[in-house]
Amino acid sequence: MIGGLFLYNHKGEVLISRIYRDDIGRNACDAFRVNVIHARQHVRSPVTNIARTSFFHTKRGNIWLCAVTKQNVNAVMVFEFLMKMIDVMQSYFGKINEENIKNNFVLIYELLDEVLDFGYPQKTDTGILKTFITQQGIKTQTKEETTQITSQVTGQIGWRREGIKYRRNELFLDVLESVNLLMSPQGQVLSAHVAGRVVMKSFLSGMPECKFGMNDKLVLDKGNKTNDELSKNSGGKPSIAIDDCTFHQCVKLSKFESERSISFIPADGEFELMRYRTTKDISLPFRVIPLVRDIARSKMEVKVVLKSNFKPTLLAQKIEIRIPTPLNTSGVQVLCMKGKAKYKASENAIVWKMKRMAGMKESQISAEIELLPTAEKKKWSRPPISMNFEVPFAPSGLKVRYLKVFEPKLNYNDHDVIKWVRYIGKSGLYETRC
Amino acid sequence: MPTVSSRGDAMRGLAVFISDIRNCKSKEAESKRINKELANIRSKFKGDKTLDGYSKKKYVCKLLFIFLLGHDIDFGHMEAVNLLSSNKYTEKQIGYLFISVLVSSNSDLMKLIIQNIKNDISSPKPVHVNLALHCIANIGSVEMSEAFGQEVPKLLVSAHASASVKQSAALCLLRLIRTLPEAMTYAEWASRVIHLLNDQHMWLTAATSLIHTLSQLSPGDYKGCVSLAVSRLSRIVTSTYTDLQDYTYYFVPAPWLSVKLLRLLQCYPVPEEPAVRGRLVECLETILNKCQEPPKSKKVQHSNSKNAVLFEAINLIIHIDSEPNLLVRACNQLGQFLQHRETNLRYLALESMCLLAGSEFSADAVKKHRETVINALKTERDVSVRQRAVDLLYAMCDKTNSEEIVAEMLAYLKKADYAIREEMVLKVAILSEKYASDYTWYVDTILKLIRVAGDYVSEEVWHRVIQIVINRDDAQGYAAKTVFENLQAPACHENMVKVGGYILGEFGNLIAGDERSSPLVQFNLLHSKFHLCTPSTRALLLSTYIKFINLFPEIKPTIQNVLQNNNQLRNADVELQQRALEYSQLSSITSQDVLATVLEEMPPFPERESSILAKLKKKKPASVQVSLVGCFMCKDHATMSVLLNHIPVWVSLTPYLSPTFASVQVNYYIISTNASSNYTIVLFQQCLYMDAFDDVLTLPADLGESPSTESTEHANRPFMFKNSGVLFENALIQVGVKCEFKEQYGRVGLFFGNKTGNQLQNFAAAVSLGPEHQGKINVATQKEPPSQIDGGAQVQHFINLECISMFSGSPNLQLRYQHSSAPQQVTLKLPVIINKFMEGVDMNSGDFFSRWKQLGQPTQETQKIFQARHPIDTEAARTKLTGFGMCALTNVDPNPENLVGSGIIKTKTSQIGCLLRLEPNKQAKMYRLTVRSSVGEAAALICSMLEEHF
Repeated sequence: MIGGLFLYNHKGEVLISRIYRDDIGRNACDAFRVNVIHARQHVRSPVTNIARTSFFHTKRGNIWLCAVTKQNVNAVMVFEFLMKMIDVMQSYFGKINEENIKNNFVLIYELLDEVLDFGYPQKTDTGILKTFITQQGIKTQTKEETTQITSQVTGQIGWRREGIKYRRNELFLDVLESVNLLMSPQGQVLSAHVAGRVVMKSFLSGMPECKFGMNDKLVLDKGNKTNDELSKNSGGKPSIAIDDCTFHQCVKLSKFESERSISFIPADGEFELMRYRTTKDISLPFRVIPLVRDIARSKMEVKVVLKSNFKPTLLAQKIEIRIPTPLNTSGVQVLCMKGKAKYKASENAIVWKMKRMAGMKESQISAEIELLPTAEKKKWSRPPISMNFEVPFAPSGLKVRYLKVFEPKLNYNDHDVIKWVRYIGKSGLYETRC
Repeated sequence: MPTVSSRGDAMRGLAVFISDIRNCKSKEAESKRINKELANIRSKFKGDKTLDGYSKKKYVCKLLFIFLLGHDIDFGHMEAVNLLSSNKYTEKQIGYLFISVLVSSNSDLMKLIIQNIKNDISSPKPVHVNLALHCIANIGSVEMSEAFGQEVPKLLVSAHASASVKQSAALCLLRLIRTLPEAMTYAEWASRVIHLLNDQHMWLTAATSLIHTLSQLSPGDYKGCVSLAVSRLSRIVTSTYTDLQDYTYYFVPAPWLSVKLLRLLQCYPVPEEPAVRGRLVECLETILNKCQEPPKSKKVQHSNSKNAVLFEAINLIIHIDSEPNLLVRACNQLGQFLQHRETNLRYLALESMCLLAGSEFSADAVKKHRETVINALKTERDVSVRQRAVDLLYAMCDKTNSEEIVAEMLAYLKKADYAIREEMVLKVAILSEKYASDYTWYVDTILKLIRVAGDYVSEEVWHRVIQIVINRDDAQGYAAKTVFENLQAPACHENMVKVGGYILGEFGNLIAGDERSSPLVQFNLLHSKFHLCTPSTRALLLSTYIKFINLFPEIKPTIQNVLQNNNQLRNADVELQQRALEYSQLSSITSQDVLATVLEEMPPFPERESSILAKLKKKKPASVQVSLVGCFMCKDHATMSVLLNHIPVWVSLTPYLSPTFASVQVNYYIISTNASSNYTIVLFQQCLYMDAFDDVLTLPADLGESPSTESTEHANRPFMFKNSGVLFENALIQVGVKCEFKEQYGRVGLFFGNKTGNQLQNFAAAVSLGPEHQGKINVATQKEPPSQIDGGAQVQHFINLECISMFSGSPNLQLRYQHSSAPQQVTLKLPVIINKFMEGVDMNSGDFFSRWKQLGQPTQETQKIFQARHPIDTEAARTKLTGFGMCALTNVDPNPENLVGSGIIKTKTSQIGCLLRLEPNKQAKMYRLTVRSSVGEAAALICSMLEEHF
């Protein structure tokens, strides 16, 4: 039961204010601005309670999104809604910034009217919203169209309308993962996890029923028990343990609960089928080996070896390593074999960039840092070396085993559908202490 | 001062940098720009490069700017210090600026800086001297005071220093004196400094500040400044002199200087010499006169400066306080200001009038303005002004106008600002008590106060009402009637219920004759409020109910029903549960006589300073409460002494106990013995008395002897014969002890066990030696206990002792800890008694008696004859004696029944031999105990210690 929703720019000026319930007054937006946006200390908690009113906020770029309520609501629900709202706005007008919001003023209010009703979240699916909230001028809708929209919005499958037809039935499946790592200087993994998403873009006719399969350990083990022959076949294939996952609303959860099979009628266009997290058996694409030595009081030497740790046939891209330098650095000499490295004073770091790097390779950078003696002998905190990259495989080891499409009413079957699968692994917080 | 902005000094880089920063869109962009600049400066400041003065100045300036934006700067100090040795004014200036802003007083560079400042101070250029002086004042550290404490005064009195240098020197010295007053010697240059007041130049405003501070520090040395200041003041004020005419500010001659001089004069008593005094009075009159003149300018600066001088003059008049004429005039002047348009003036007028109201000469004059002040209270828009008005009303109140003023304040209380309500409530309470001629008026006022602002009525206020009502026979009936009427209101404040409960419990019988307030009606009325109250009030009401049982036996069954209700008996609050249980038992078991004694009307309180006054004065309330309990003890001493005969002696200490503790005892006694119900009564009355004053709960710590000490005194007795056991135990903590003694050395191990599930915090255990043990025992803590004890955990604490010489009693162990943030304190007796240092000596019959005879002097012997407390058993006595530390000798005394022992007390300074004979008389069940010792005191001590144990 969200009482109201506000959007502020970075100065704290209210861009959008929509109040859904009577218990929230107009002054609530001032309270949030004074206590959070303009607070002396940076407010870190995403939930703030001011005068028995809860403010849930998130920030995108320079824009503050804030949901307000006086009731004891499910905070996770509110944040999920805020995220959805951001998705919706992004798909309507691209990047969320002050100018875009001002230009799409009317549209946002229209959206806000639709996604929340008396504070209860309603349809937040972009595809569906786009059927009745358009950016074009007003078309008088025919009676059929209105009845169609009504039946669809109130119907069981709210995320897909009937009567979709494509000449070519095609679907794209992207497995997007981000690896997070914290490693000790000696190469011990302190913490590592992969946050992944399966994003699907479907151009399928009719109301197809899909079934998605991956190398989930639980499913495969279950298969082993029931069918010994299968176990022999799948025994060689590695399976992964998924710690937790969430699905798009189209997935039939009851079926997942009972059979652990993911079956669904997909939304049209792009949507996020599932989100998951794994922590075990992660294949780390890169290994950073730092070597930091103090040569003299005013000089130190940094040597960093980068090893790629994946199949030699694959190519990693957009590699960037950021080596922090002490705050009293007065000069840096860098020497690297591959790529370009530069000392960026404004960021207090040496940034080493490489366009691409093949698997099972090694590269090295060495730098000499000159230091200025300081008045207070404050110890440098030695922040970790961080890196960014993109690799064409899933570091968690997730594999798509199948995606079957059944459309009983129309005359195409699984083999006629063109399917594309792509794996992209990206770095999240990929850090090595030095 | 040389012109700063010549072409070469413009520092374009700095200007560009600042405009870059100002143009930054976001915080991140700003910090990026700053990081870049810092890296640039660092590369410029690298050791191998030499920079010219200009760029050094520019970069130091940039660093300063970055620092002022809130970033840490940890380099560039050396460059700034280098700038000091430059010859250019601007470079020096930036260097000094950086140092006074950024260099911490304990920096390594300080020596270098001081050297540079020394060079500059002796420089011939006055601007350089000025810069150095400013830097000294800005840093103002102890180190600076030590380095320049002698230099700066020289400048101040030097003949050829310019006025601006002198001004800086005066202010610099002022700062140094404030930092380190003791480093300065005043007397030697006192006279020369005083004569600065005669100087022609305006910088003497600074000098006056300096003299003001100096005269506060050593008034004797600067006494001479009074006459000089008066003459200077009169020269400024009386317009005939042309002195300082250049410094006229909006037609007011030298206002700052006048104000400072007037302040300076307030440091000293009124000058004795008639001439000086006359001149001063004349000055003050002139100042007052000038205010009557029409303003020479409409500018606000004119009136401000004029009024500043006037108010300071009024302060001086109040300080002098012996010129009735002036005081009355000042008061009249302030009266005019009370209606002034300017809010600030009204505020100041009210504030000054508060002071005037305290003076005997002007008090009446102040009272004339009562109407205006009351009006101000009602109409002022600013809360701080209203606050002053309240203060003034309080100050001007006396017997004649108290009723009106109190009524006004009560009326205002309803709409008063929340911030000042509590203070106002206190003031109303004090005034109504202080000037109450008629106590019915007093009772009315306070009850009205509770009604109007119940939340702000503190405990002290309603305690005080009760005290006064109990002490005044004439007010009791009226009070009972009024509270009864007040309680009939549908919603009344909890404080009202408390007062009502207490007064009706005491004096309900006075109004019981009336049909409308019959006992049952009274009870029902109180009980209707019962469920809406907090536990503390409910507890008080329960006490009222038991008092009702005594006052009105006819409603006893009704009340017993209430007391025995499960709501009370099984209440979650222990205090309520206990009271209900005890009261219902008391009412059912005891006879009417006992009940009447227990529940007698409260005796009057002794007169003393009102506790609310004490609260207003922010004195410690503890002392009042101590006397409160003290008086409880005295007043019912009569009852107690009659009853005490039947009760063990230690019970006499129970008045000190907290109500809960006392109640526990009561409980115990009610259940165990009906015979000793007398004792119950005494305790019981204590409980009741304490009801009204729950603060007493905090008392034991303040009193000389705390309950826990008492209880361990007894627990300590077994430790005379044994070395380990449980020393103390309560619901929170258990203290175990284990001791070892050898010759004069002892080692005590203490084990503190936390019995609760929570952590005990701020735990501290310390051995405190009383005056009787100082120098007689050495205590060293071997292992400190940790400051926290986790739930269920045990910690250890070891103490090493050495006995220096003989002592009596035993040292105290003080335990402090916090349990669920409530501080607790327990004082225990350590089981370290003199007999622990005694070692037995075996000897034969001949030896024993020859020594016995050597110690034949009367001072060396103590003999006691006493009733046996235990059945006479030689073997048991022998064991006890061995446990005591003596060697029980066999085959020494011709009579085998007699017990003979010997031992040596070993202390560091001496060894004291002790011999003992214990002769039993089985027929009479008596003992005769004879102790002889080389030191008479030891014999007496041992005798008294052992006496109780046979």
